[in-house]
Order: sequence, then C-alpha cells, then structure tokens
Amino acid sequence: MDSRRTRVLIEIALSVALAAVLAMITVWRMPQGGSVSLNMLPLFIIALRRGTGAGLAAGALYGAVDFLVNPYIVHWIQPILDYPVAYGLVGLSGVVSRPLKAALSQAAYGASVAWAAAGIALGGLGRYIAHFASGVVFFGSFAPEGQPVWLYSALYNTYVPVSAAAALAAAIVILPVLERAMPSRVSDSAGT
Amino acid sequence: MRPPVPFGQFVPGDSAVHRLEARAKLGLAAAFTAMLFMVGGFAGLGISSLFVLVAVAVSGVPVRLVLRGVRVVAFILVFTLLAHSLRIEPATVALVRVGPLAIDPEGLVTGSFFAVRIVLLVVGTSLITLTTSPVRLADGLEHLMSPLQRVGFPAGDVAMMLTVALRFIPTTAEEAEKIILAQTARGARFDRRGPIARGRAYVPVLVPLFVSLFRRADELATAMESRCYRGGTGRTRLHESRFAATDWLTLLAGVGLMLTVGVLL
Repeated sequence: MDSRRTRVLIEIALSVALAAVLAMITVWRMPQGGSVSLNMLPLFIIALRRGTGAGLAAGALYGAVDFLVNPYIVHWIQPILDYPVAYGLVGLSGVVSRPLKAALSQAAYGASVAWAAAGIALGGLGRYIAHFASGVVFFGSFAPEGQPVWLYSALYNTYVPVSAAAALAAAIVILPVLERAMPSRVSDSAGT
Repeated sequence: MRPPVPFGQFVPGDSAVHRLEARAKLGLAAAFTAMLFMVGGFAGLGISSLFVLVAVAVSGVPVRLVLRGVRVVAFILVFTLLAHSLRIEPATVALVRVGPLAIDPEGLVTGSFFAVRIVLLVVGTSLITLTTSPVRLADGLEHLMSPLQRVGFPAGDVAMMLTVALRFIPTTAEEAEKIILAQTARGARFDRRGPIARGRAYVPVLVPLFVSLFRRADELATAMESRCYRGGTGRTRLHESRFAATDWLTLLAGVGLMLTVGVLL
C-alpha cells in the first residue's frame, strides 16, 4: 500500500473526527429547529485539498459517524438520505481542488476565494438537495395529502445554506494559512 | 491515562441489552422500523411500545436519557399534529375554535397516530446508541460491510478510518477545549451574541485545530507504516466480537415476533 494513500485515509479519518467535534459547537440555533454549526468545514477542507474522491469518502464516513453518535430516524429511507448521502455530497466541493490549489500556490487570493466559494456552494447544494429530498419523503408520508410538502422541506432545510456560508467564511481564512503551514503539493511529492 | 471525554449517547452497563451483539441490535432495529411502518392502527403501536418498554426496562438506561431524543424531534411532532388537525373555516365539527382556525377531532386522531409512530421510532432506535459503544457499533457495521469486499468495495479501509475517527473524537475535543482556554486566557471571548460575532470568535481556534489535524495525520500515517500497516485486508483486531447462540436466538425471535405483529395488526 503506498504511503500517500495511507496518509490521505488518515487525513479523512481525522477530518471526520474534527467534524464530529465541531458539530457539538452550535454557532446559531435557527427558529425552525435546525442548528448552524461548522461541522461541514473539515469536510470542505479535505475535499478542497485532496479532491472529490477524498471529499465524498470523508462526507459519507462522517454521515456514518454522525448516525452512530446521534441517530435521528423518522422514516425508513430518511437516515440514508440524511446521513451518508447528504454529507457525502458535501465532498462534491472537491471538483475545484486543482484550480484552487494552483491559485493558492501562486498566492492569487482573489482567485482562490472564488474557487473555494464555487466548491463550497456546490457541496452545500448537494447536501441541501439530499436533505430536501428526505424532507419531501418525510413530510409527504406524514402530512395530509394536498399540502405543499416541497415548500415545508425547502424552508425546514434553510439551515444548510446558512451553515455552508459560515463554513465558507472560515475556509477563506483557514485555507491560505494551511497551505503555508502544510503545503498540500509538497506533501504530495514527499509522500510518494 | 485519563478517561476519554464522553461523547455521543452511550451509557455503559452490563444488562442483557448491552451484551447483545451490535449486529443483532442493528437487525432488531431494522425489523422494529419495518414493523412500525407496517402496523395500521393504535393496537399495533401499543404492542410496539410494549417492545420498547421491555427493552428500556431490561437495559436499565434512565428514562430521562431515553426520552432525550424526543426533544430533538419536538418541532416535527408539533408540525405533524397541526398539519393533520388544524383546519381553516371547517365545515365539520371542531374540538377547539380560535378565530378562523379549528382543531378537527378526526385529524387529531390521525396526527396522533403519526406522532406516536415518530416517538417510538426515535426512542426504539436511540436505544441502540444508548447501549452500544460507537466502537462496537463500528465493528458491527464492518462485519455487515465485509461481503461488499468481493465487489471491490474497500471495506477494510473504511473500517480502519471509522475506528480512527471514533478513537480521535475525544482527543480532538480535548484539543479544541485546550485551544479555547488558551485563547480565552489571551482575551478572546466566545460568549458574544449574534452568529457573525460568535463565528468570528472561533477562527483563532479553528486555524490551530486544522494545522494540528494535518500534522497528526502525517505522524500517524508514518507510525502505521513503520509498523507495517498495508491496508485493511486481513487486519486482525484486539477485541474480537463473537456472534453467540444467544445473539442468534434473540435476533431470530425478535425479528419473527416484530414482523408477525407488523403483518397482523
């Protein structure tokens, strides 16, 4: 097994641990019951540094850990959508990994903010769609027929874009510092 | 070594529910969920709650902790009840009337059925995490995932990452706590009102946490390689969990009973 792979696996595992810790710190509790926390931040960071594959793996794994620690089941399909799928899709932000790393290594701050924002928006959207689908299934099976279930679900899950925006604000500060302290490119070549 | 910082819901104990193998508990939870979605009336829900009551009593977990999960779904419960029972200018009889709004008794009954089902789902499934440590649950999941290895799914790697993640949650929490204390000593304030001010206060905590995460990953990977770690396949474990005859018996009897209730009621 090559050593770069082992290191990426461990980075994923430790990011998941950090995400679980950040989930315990609520930055803001929203009126409809959703809570805004920075638990997506480590998942975004690992996806942005290591690419979509690592991001999807970290997200799905975090979904599993979150399910093991704080399960919340109200429907049989809902746990699958709300845990591994929703968090797994956060890893989609990794599609901008290459251009973002190029921008960071050239210290092009504006470009790196734009790439990070695009990636995080994509990952956040992925998670929102999964929770939205789960909400439609849930409200659809519990609310009487004829009610606008998609609207309930869209409103109920508004905490996801708010959390993604909070994560973006933090990521903009953290990514350049991290790139200076632990350059992802240099460690790539050192690992192989 | 200091005891790890507690996280999650696990309440240590030595009851029959605690001792039951994680895979058996997961199987029972799946059957329980299926039963709740199969039963069509309050009689079925009554029997289901009997199952939950017996399991809670045997487990010895304080009822206060069992009910904690219900608080999280309070919003959904209220929504379910109101969505079914609240009517605007109804033609039917109303239980309570406030202006144009009225509570429809028939809707209230349907709403209660769904609300009770949600409460039972939440309580029944949270009993697993209350009586099984996350590490044992992860072991159970690994066993369940192992057949996927044949189709190329890296079940061994996933199991390793899951174990490392769970092992490092307490360590990371302790580290975060230390950094928060250090920044507080330097005059940082984490009690500010408003999401933006609170979020900004955490930036000086997040930066060292992330730097230390990647540094630790580097050290851990080196340590694993120098001990000849070569992937998850064929990895042995320190504490092997066995699926005993009693686990089989409990699983089969439980699943059979629950599915019968689901079909009949």
